[in-house]
Amino acid sequence: MNKIAVVARNEFMRRVKSRMFILTTLLGPVLLVGFFAVVGFIAVSAMEEEEGRTIAVLDETGVLLPALQAEAGDTDTFVRPGVPFDSVRQAVLDGRYDGYLLLPEGLVEGTSEATYYAAVGGGSNTFQRRLGRLLDRVVEQRRLAENNVPPEVMEAIRKDVPLRMVQLTEAGETAGSTEAYAVIGFIMGFLIYIAMLIYGSVVMQGVIEEKLSRVVEVIVSSVRPFELLMGKVLGIGAMGLVQMTVWALLIMAGTVFSGTLLALFLDPANLNLPVDASQKELLAAANFQVPVLSADVFVWFVLFFLIGYLVYASLFAAVGSAVEQQQDAQGFLLPVMMPIILSIVFISPVVEAPNSTLAVVLSMIPFFSPIPMVVRVAVTDVPFWQVSLSFLLMVGAFFGAIWLSGRIYRVGILMYGKKPKLRDLIRWIRYA
Amino acid sequence: MAVLSVEHVTKRYGDFVAVDDVSFQAQPGRILGLLGPNGAGKTSTIRMITYITVPDEGQVRYDGRPVGPWSQARMGYLPEERGLYKKMKVGEQLLYFAALKGVPAAEARKKARYWLDRFGAGGWVGKKTQELSKGMQQKIQFIATILHEPDLLILDEPFGGLDPINAELLNDVIMALKEKGSTILFASHRMEQVEQLCDDICLISDGRILLKGGLREVKRRFGRNTILLDFDGDNAFLDRLEADGLVHVGLRSISHAELRLRDGATPRHVLEVVMQYVDEISRFELVEPPMREIFVSVVEQQQGASGTRAEAVSH
Repeated sequence: MNKIAVVARNEFMRRVKSRMFILTTLLGPVLLVGFFAVVGFIAVSAMEEEEGRTIAVLDETGVLLPALQAEAGDTDTFVRPGVPFDSVRQAVLDGRYDGYLLLPEGLVEGTSEATYYAAVGGGSNTFQRRLGRLLDRVVEQRRLAENNVPPEVMEAIRKDVPLRMVQLTEAGETAGSTEAYAVIGFIMGFLIYIAMLIYGSVVMQGVIEEKLSRVVEVIVSSVRPFELLMGKVLGIGAMGLVQMTVWALLIMAGTVFSGTLLALFLDPANLNLPVDASQKELLAAANFQVPVLSADVFVWFVLFFLIGYLVYASLFAAVGSAVEQQQDAQGFLLPVMMPIILSIVFISPVVEAPNSTLAVVLSMIPFFSPIPMVVRVAVTDVPFWQVSLSFLLMVGAFFGAIWLSGRIYRVGILMYGKKPKLRDLIRWIRYA
Repeated sequence: MAVLSVEHVTKRYGDFVAVDDVSFQAQPGRILGLLGPNGAGKTSTIRMITYITVPDEGQVRYDGRPVGPWSQARMGYLPEERGLYKKMKVGEQLLYFAALKGVPAAEARKKARYWLDRFGAGGWVGKKTQELSKGMQQKIQFIATILHEPDLLILDEPFGGLDPINAELLNDVIMALKEKGSTILFASHRMEQVEQLCDDICLISDGRILLKGGLREVKRRFGRNTILLDFDGDNAFLDRLEADGLVHVGLRSISHAELRLRDGATPRHVLEVVMQYVDEISRFELVEPPMREIFVSVVEQQQGASGTRAEAVSH
């Protein structure tokens, strides 16, 4: 026991003092924010690309075009075609218009349907929804007007209904928007992914380095190979925990100021507020709320973070012990990493439908469970028996993994020369 | 101060028998030379003594008890393939190795300073290993081996890579440890070093013991059958001596040869032949065979006998 502590301490100190560690720890959040900023930028610019469509309107009703033009806002432009009726089609194909909209007679009465023609296929959902909504509104106004509805009533109907998304939890508290929880789910899942994959590889590299420099033979003449393995896994785990804690503190400091930051980008005019509106009013009007996380989300996150790391670190260590250089590890790494990669691939469906069969099953299977389970815990209320069972299964998986790895490791670290095959590893496990 | 005793130890890796029913003892205050050709099973044997691996059959005892973590703490092991952490500083490294042996940090620091000074390496404490030359690393590794004052030492080619001055220094330290009563196991391919250092030897080949006992006694067993010859003149006569069946020529150079007498040949007879050919003789001495000669003849004899077995194993 004592020797595990000596090894762990050395592993921890050696790494924490390295320049690389200090740099990544301090720059990690910056890179993370940068990463999300790039993703956000791409998403926004993708949306912006869709704007500014110019649409020729063939208005056979004779009344809808002016209304369309009045309601359209600044996104799309609706025009009367500057060419004869029968050449509009050609004008669109030539690129003079993005498309043309046919509003046949009887549209207001509901006896015909509107059709949008465009040269470019696969029009986006956003545009279709926007156009549909616009038409709905224009036709609706027309119908109301034809039935002599007074303008005050029309005004009252026109007024937008704001919709806020609120999550209902078992404890009865209502909290910030579900979208914020989805983001938190993503981030937590991503952090566990880092813990398993990156810190796991650090363990593997450490094992390979010791084997390559032949230090390992001296070390195992002082400690049992299993103690060395455990000390290494725990020491690097402690390093990971420190790094994550620093990151968490930096991010927490960030969220405290995030309101202030966000407020700088909000224009009071857009929110129908006076120019001198306070920050608090601004944020409330923008429907922004720093999401509140309950303590058990944090507890489960830390628990799954640790157990996920422990399971994969021991497997990575076994892989490292079997090879002499990193390149040789690829063949063994693929099966080990498969569950991690699959569970990060499934992160989106799990966020969308955290209680679907896929999400529930995935979050229960050991090796797969840490990422989906933490995501579920973050976005929805997961029954206690499910989380705890999933965790216990992972603990079981850890004992299995560390036993297996210990057997491979003790033989592997002393083996040089021929690159072993899977068959050799199985033989090593059986050695006395 | 205690006896190391290897008792009927066998180690298999799959179908391959690395060590086959090996028994020997190493006595305190003496140096036991563990010899054998490459792949003979020396490293496998050492790994069982150091409790890195465990035997399939038989056992290794130290001080009357089966080896284990307790004996690891009393033992220092210098493997043939040296290794230090490249990016760790010399001082940190020594303290870590000492901590693994259970030495408190303050005590380890004091001893590290003593030994570094003794090896003329006092200024290296803050240097990273990768900044040191091979010979320097060698010295650091040796210090790491003895820092916790082990009473059982296992040294595998300890002189490799050292210049004569440092080799002399190391030799003095090993001799001093022996005087203090340490039990020392010395593995080497350099037979002159074995003759110079060892009190006892144990020769392994193909996982089995071919020869063991006190160095003097073993040599005596082979009789005074070796002639050391220093001469001037053409050395072509050596081939003739061999062709006539008088001697077996061991080591030969321009003016020196080691000749082993064949059965029936007498030194006098050999001298008569030699005198016919050489210009001058400056030495003609009948001695016990050198260790190198014994090693080669014993191993060759065994490998000839078990050639079929070795082939069967390698297939």
